[in-house]
Parts: sequence; C-alpha cells; structure tokens
Amino acid sequence: MLLAAAALIAAASPRAAVQPEPARSPRNANYRLTASLDPVSHVITGSGRLTWRNISHTTTNELQFHLYWNAWRDANSSWLREQRLGRNGAMAGRPADDRGSIDVSTIAIGGTNLLARARFMAPDDGNTQDMTVLSVPLDQPVAPGQTIEIDLAWTSRVPRTYARTGRIGDYYFIAQWFPKIGVLEDTGWNCHQFHAATEFFSDFGVYDVTLTVPGGWKIGATGSAVEQTTDASGTRVRFAQADVHDFAWTTSPDFQVREERFDEPGLPAVRMILLLQPEHAGQAARHFAATRAALKYYGTWFGPYPYEQITIVDPVAIADAPSQGESTGGMEYPTLFTAGTRWRVAAAGTQPESVTVHEAGHQFWYGIVATNEFEHAWMDEGLNTFSTARTLDAAFPGRFATVDRFFGGLLPWAYADVPWSRAVDGNRLNAFRPVASADTPSTPTWQYWPGSAGAITYNKTALWLATLERLIGWPATQKILATHFSRGAFRHPVPDEFFAIASEISGRDLTWFFDAVYRSSATFDYAVTDVMSTSQGATTNHQVIVRRFGDGVFPISTRVTFADGTVTDAAWDGREPWHAITLSNPSAVARVQVDPDRVLLLDVNVTNNSWTARPRAAEASQKWALRWLTWVQELLLTYACFS
Amino acid sequence: MLRAPALAASMLAATFLLALPLGLVMQRSLETHLGRSVEADAAAEGWNANWAAEYGAQAQGLGRTFGYEILGFGGTLAILSDLLDNTGLNPTLAIAATMSVALWIFLSGGLLDRLARGRPVRTSQFFSACGVYALRFSRLAIVIGAAYYALFRWLHPFLFGRVYHHFTRDMTAERDVAVLRIALYLVFLLALAVVSVVADFAKVRTVVEDRRSMLGALGASVRFIRRRPFRVAGLLVLNALAWLVILRLWFSVAPAATAPAWWAFLITEIYLLARVWAKLAFMASEVVFFQGDLAHAQYTAAPEVVWPDSPAAEAIGNMSRRREG
Repeated sequence: MLLAAAALIAAASPRAAVQPEPARSPRNANYRLTASLDPVSHVITGSGRLTWRNISHTTTNELQFHLYWNAWRDANSSWLREQRLGRNGAMAGRPADDRGSIDVSTIAIGGTNLLARARFMAPDDGNTQDMTVLSVPLDQPVAPGQTIEIDLAWTSRVPRTYARTGRIGDYYFIAQWFPKIGVLEDTGWNCHQFHAATEFFSDFGVYDVTLTVPGGWKIGATGSAVEQTTDASGTRVRFAQADVHDFAWTTSPDFQVREERFDEPGLPAVRMILLLQPEHAGQAARHFAATRAALKYYGTWFGPYPYEQITIVDPVAIADAPSQGESTGGMEYPTLFTAGTRWRVAAAGTQPESVTVHEAGHQFWYGIVATNEFEHAWMDEGLNTFSTARTLDAAFPGRFATVDRFFGGLLPWAYADVPWSRAVDGNRLNAFRPVASADTPSTPTWQYWPGSAGAITYNKTALWLATLERLIGWPATQKILATHFSRGAFRHPVPDEFFAIASEISGRDLTWFFDAVYRSSATFDYAVTDVMSTSQGATTNHQVIVRRFGDGVFPISTRVTFADGTVTDAAWDGREPWHAITLSNPSAVARVQVDPDRVLLLDVNVTNNSWTARPRAAEASQKWALRWLTWVQELLLTYACFS
Repeated sequence: MLRAPALAASMLAATFLLALPLGLVMQRSLETHLGRSVEADAAAEGWNANWAAEYGAQAQGLGRTFGYEILGFGGTLAILSDLLDNTGLNPTLAIAATMSVALWIFLSGGLLDRLARGRPVRTSQFFSACGVYALRFSRLAIVIGAAYYALFRWLHPFLFGRVYHHFTRDMTAERDVAVLRIALYLVFLLALAVVSVVADFAKVRTVVEDRRSMLGALGASVRFIRRRPFRVAGLLVLNALAWLVILRLWFSVAPAATAPAWWAFLITEIYLLARVWAKLAFMASEVVFFQGDLAHAQYTAAPEVVWPDSPAAEAIGNMSRRREG
C-alpha cells in the first residue's frame, strides 16, 4: 500500500514509546540522542546522554568509544590500509571530498568534560594514526554493577559512501554515526579498531533518538517513530527502541513508503515498512515476499522475531562505484536493514530476494543473537548464509537461475540452463574453492587476510553447516540452531557455546568435526584413483583405491555398484593418505563413488570422487568443446569487424 | 551476394578452421578433467554447472574461458558486452582474434575484386587478387589499426572513465545512468563506425581504382564520404538493421544446453553463416554504392598477372623461332 505522498515520515504514524517489561536484554548501554542533518555541508550535529552500567565482573577506570567514521578521515587509518592490503586500492584513492569523519567535542561526567585527557588508541595493530578508538580515563573508577551517565556532543561529516554508510546525492544512509561505547568484558574492554574485513560489536540498551532532517524528507530508523513535528527548521522525528545494540537511520526526499503486515500462525505479527526507490516501484512485492519468508522460516526454525516493526530500506543502486561510492545495500542493523536491487532485474534472478532474506535474517543472527563481529564474524554471517540458502530453497523452490549482468551491469541476463542450487550457489562453494585454505576460521576475524575474509567467514561456515546438516540430519541441526538462538538471544555468545550445544543436541562428541572445519585451514579432497579386478576360479576380487589428496580429514563412505545391480557401501575414517577396499562379486564393477550422498560439501574437487566403467567423458567433452568452438567462431567473427 | 554463396560459406569455413585447433585443445582438456568421472553423464545430457565451475576454477589459460557464459544468446551478449566495455580478451583468444583479422585483411582483396566484378571468378583469380592487395591492405591496416588503438586506448577510457564518472557521481536513479551509458555507447560506436567506413571505402577504392598508395586511398575515401555523408550513414544504418534482425532471430533459436550437439552446432553455424553473409553484404553494398556513384561503367580490375617464362624456356623459344626463321 502506498502511503500518501504528503506523509513525511517513512516509519508512518507515531506510536507510544516502546519500553516492554521485563527487559529482554541487560540494557546496560542506553542512549538518548538528538541529531540534525545539514544536507548542504553534509554534517550531522549531535548530542545526548549515554547511561552505561558496568555488567562485567571487573572495575574499570577508563571508557573506550568507537569512532568508526574516522576510518575515512585520511588514508592512514587501519581500515583503508587493509583495503589496500586486500587489493582494493581504489577505496584509498578516492578524492578528499568523499571522506568522512567524527569529531567529539564533549565527553562529560557530572559536568566535567573528560575530553582533554582522552587519547586515541590502536589495540589491534598499533597504528598510531588510526583514530577509530578513543580511550577516556575516568576520575572515579566504575565498579561492577555501577551506573554512570555520560554527556556526549559531536559532529560527523557524512562521507560519500564507504562501508555501506554515507550519502549519494540527497540519499543518506547513516550508521555507526555517534560515539559508541565498547563492550566491557571480565577481561577488559573489547573495543577493536575499525577493520576492512569486519563489522561491529556493542551492548544492548534502549535507544531514544530524535532526528531533524529537511522538511519533506522521508526518514526511517531503528525502532518505531513515537513523535513527529514539522516546523521551519525541518522535520523532527523521535524514534525509540528497547533491547537493541545499535541505531541506524536513513533519509531522502525520494523514498516511496509502503507498508504491509506479516501474519503467520504461531508467530507474532510484524509491521513491515518498505522505503523504496521510485524506479524500483515494481519490485515492492518481491521485497515484502522475501522479508516475509525470512520472518516465517527463521521464526519457525530458530525462534520468533520479537520486535513489532521491521524497516526495509531499498538503497540507491550503484552503477558506477568509482564515482558514486560503495553501495549501502546488503547491511543489517537492529529492526532495520538495507536490501539492494537494480533498475532492471531478471525474473529468475535472486536479486532482490537473496539479499533481502539475508539481511532480514540478520535480525536473528546479529540483531538478537549479538555475537562479536570483530572476532567471530562467522557466527552471524556464516550461520546466516546457511540460513538464507535454506530459506530461499524453501520459500522459492525452483524459482532462480544464474544471472549475469552485461554492458556496465545495466542489462541482466538469466541463464535458464543454469538453475540456482542451494548446496552450491546458496552456500557459495564456487567462491570458497579458490581460497579454501586462506585462513583458519578460528582466527579472530579482524586478523583474516582482507582479500579472502568474506569467503572464509560466509562461505566456509555455510558449507560446513550444510555438511553438518547432511551428517546429523536437519532435525538435529535445526534443534542446535534453535537452542543456540534461545540461549544466545540478547547476549553475546561465543563459539565454544555453539560447539557445546552442537555436541549436546546431536548426542555425539563433534569436537573432531569442529577441529577439521573450524580450527584448521585444511582443504578436503577425496578421490577414487584405481579400480582393479582379478579372477580366482569362480570368484572375482575387486580392489578399489580411494585417496585423500587434501590435508583435511573427514570420515567418508564409498559406494561400489556392480554390473548386476549389487550396491555395497564401505566406510573409511579418511585419515590415511589412501585406503583399499576389497570386495568379492562375480560381476564387474560398474561404478564407484566416494561420498555418494555428497555429505562433505567442503570437498573442493568433486569430479575425482567417482569412477565409472563406461565413461562418457569423450561424448561430453566433444559436445561442449564443439559448443565452445562455435562461441569462439562468433567471437572471431565479431572481432573481424576490425579488419 | 545471393549469387555468391560460396564466398559466405568459404569465409565461415575459414573461421571454423581458425577456431578448430583451439576447440581440439579444449576438447582434450575437458576430457582429461572428466576422466572416468560420473560427472560426465550429467555433462553429456546438459549443462553440469557444478562440474563446469570446478573445471573453470582449476583450469589455466584457455580453459578459463569455458563457463556458462558460452550458452545460447548469453554468449553473444557476453562477447558484445566485453567488446563495448573494453574488457581484455583471454591472451590465446586475443591471438586467435588477431589471426582472424589478418585472415580477413588478406582475403579482402579477393572478396572486393569478386564483388566489384559482379561475376564468378576462378579460385586462382580470387587468390591472385588476394595476393595483389594483401601488402597494400597490410599497410592500410597499420593506419587503421592505429586509429582503432587510439579509440580503445584513449577515447573509451575518456568516455567511460572521466565523462561517465563525472555525470554519474550524484545520480540516484539507475535509469539516468543507463541513458547516459547508452549515449556514450552510441558515441563510441559512431567513432568506430567512422573509422570502419573510412577503411572500407579506402579498400574499395584501392581495388576498384587499382590504387597503390594507401594514404591516397584513405584521402579518397574521406573525400567520398564527406561529399555524401547521409547516404553513407543510411547505408551503414541499413546494414546495422540487417545485423540486428539476425541477432533477433538468433535470440529466438539459440540452442539450449540440453540440445543435441549436432543440432546446436547446425543452428549456430547457420546463425554464423548469416553473420558472415551480412558482413559480405555490407562490403558488397559499399562496392556497389561506390561503383554506382564514381567508378566508370567499363570498370575492369587490374589486368591479370602474367608471369614471364623462365630464362631457360625463353631461350628454347627463341632458338625455335630462329630455326623457323
């Protein structure tokens, strides 16, 4: 339903402030902020009060704040250095006008501004020029359980989009925009610098934020709008949300505002607000359907979405990243996320469904189960990639195909002959294969090589979760994830908790599994290399040699099919470099398959997993070489125009 | 062109023969990778996406060009998109494409001579004409190649770099970006077309007027086009429309991955034959246009080359004439 154009507030009508009792989370980092956007200077001026409670078991005599936007202050930040390390040099070479920053003018307790003694620190890499973490020494230490109130004032210069934050034209997507306190743990502050390969980590609280934007601009944010006024200074909207750990917002004069309701038996109703780019008006139904699928399947499999509203932001599509900046699409924040689509999309393409399901799914894996994205990004991204693939497969069976984009990305083309598959495409096997051993997943994510961090974080985790599902079955896997969700909700669970739940629920010690897929960078590659038969009188003995080419160890089965139809499965623990299977059968061996049910999705070379007595390689290769040859002919003919 | 089917068929065959060695290399590579794997069963029936992706990830060189992008009309779009977006070719394919260009340059003399005469010629006469003009067209190719190089090396980055970036910077509607990009494609295509047409008429004038100086032929070509720009543009547009009609038909009949190999090959070769025919028809239309406008009615191409007898044969001939005398 398209709301009246006169409606200034994207989040529709104001509602009563949401402060449900009892609290779902510790609510130890509560922000009451006001901020206004100047669209001419691209500056946000903000102030407010942070009410912070020490929920650790340690006393602290300092506070640590994230100042994320200083990652784009100059080229010396760790974030931009790591972009260059990850071969994304274009990011560091962008013009000065693109840069963003945050300058704090007040951090005061009891009327005393502590800023003079504050200093920047670089706990991760010692980069003295990095200004993304600010340490503020305190006059009085804060004991466990003690609460303090900190007054804040700052200005943020909005960058042309970096890291899915910033402005393009008069479209603004604003995240990580205020001084955000780190997480105090029993071992001290967990307040990492901003890194190229990682996202964020913060404590839960109540956010009460009043934003002022130019009159007539539509606005959406974390939580629900509870007040709105419009005067000569612009449109002022107050948003409130409890039990969330971040607050992001967006504004633009161009958004079309749509609203639908999620109603599914057994799950709480959710109000879905869609802020749509006008040129994507025809894709509203696809956005709602994908969000609905995420709320339904994640809600059913893992646990219900607990908030009353979810806001979907359709960002400006980026067709020319070097000039326009990075896309703000495909990013999650509590109760709000950015999807991402294009002006022209293929009906069979996974865009916008895939990104919409994924980011809506982050409400569960990140929003509610708030794991540390600096150190264990796989716990939200990996679990969510696996869950996204499963949801797409369940909600849109047989719908998708591979799509390429041509002519500068403007023209989509769907290859109907190449259907989307959950196992390979959903879990992103093809992007994982080239970097299979690039990093050990148990390494803190911010220490991954930036060039392959995504593949290890998202893809490898999704692949080993899918492997686990094939190993122990979906009911057990679903129960593991549901238990992890219920125990981890509104907390910061760590990897060992997840692994313990997996062993507990499956009823078997899965340490070996996590040693292989998580605590190692080993690659998996099993193969059939030899099939030999010898006859002794009436009996024929067959010997099948199976090899382990990778350094990863996984127990596998080998299926031998004989010409008379007899099928024999042989198990192997997969440890030794090779293994011989000896069988007796009067018939010849027709086919051998290692891992016939393809349990081990991490196997990087599946073609060598099988052997057949009647190979069709010649037939297949002739067919496809001929097809390729005619394609080359066409290419030669096309380039002949330069003769 | 309808009276010269052998030309189109021969050119298609030449292109096939040029691609054949690469195809054989690819066939061997695919067969080796499949080995005795059961993955070949699915690959023989249709597109085995998992195997193809695995092969592409492990392949080196030419093998990296084997992917779903070769399928059907998508393959055509991929070629055109890569060309217009100035995406570098695989090195082996780039060498093959250069050989293809060289082949067409070599055969252009014979083709234009045949088309200018408007009657069948013997094979020896065809290749004789090829030989006569090969060196001249090679000299011409240096100039024209430099022009194309300049377009791709400087004009393309200027249009799709500086100009494109400047205008897209604050565009929030992709539709506007699309309009801009299409406009830039048209500008670039126009530049390509100008170079192409100048080169074409230079070749036509070289053959029809038996020109030796290629700079002179280029100048004559420019003068010819400059005096009748709209008619030349009309000719270009008509031929472009013919090409678009062929593409549209190909879009409708491009074979699916499950099509039998022979059927897919046949359909694709018919499409490529149509492409060759369109290219030759364009050359023919340029020849006819030029002859209709400038060349005199009694045009004949350069006299047939008659090689002198060997000194020994000449000595014997002289001796016998002396005896008779």
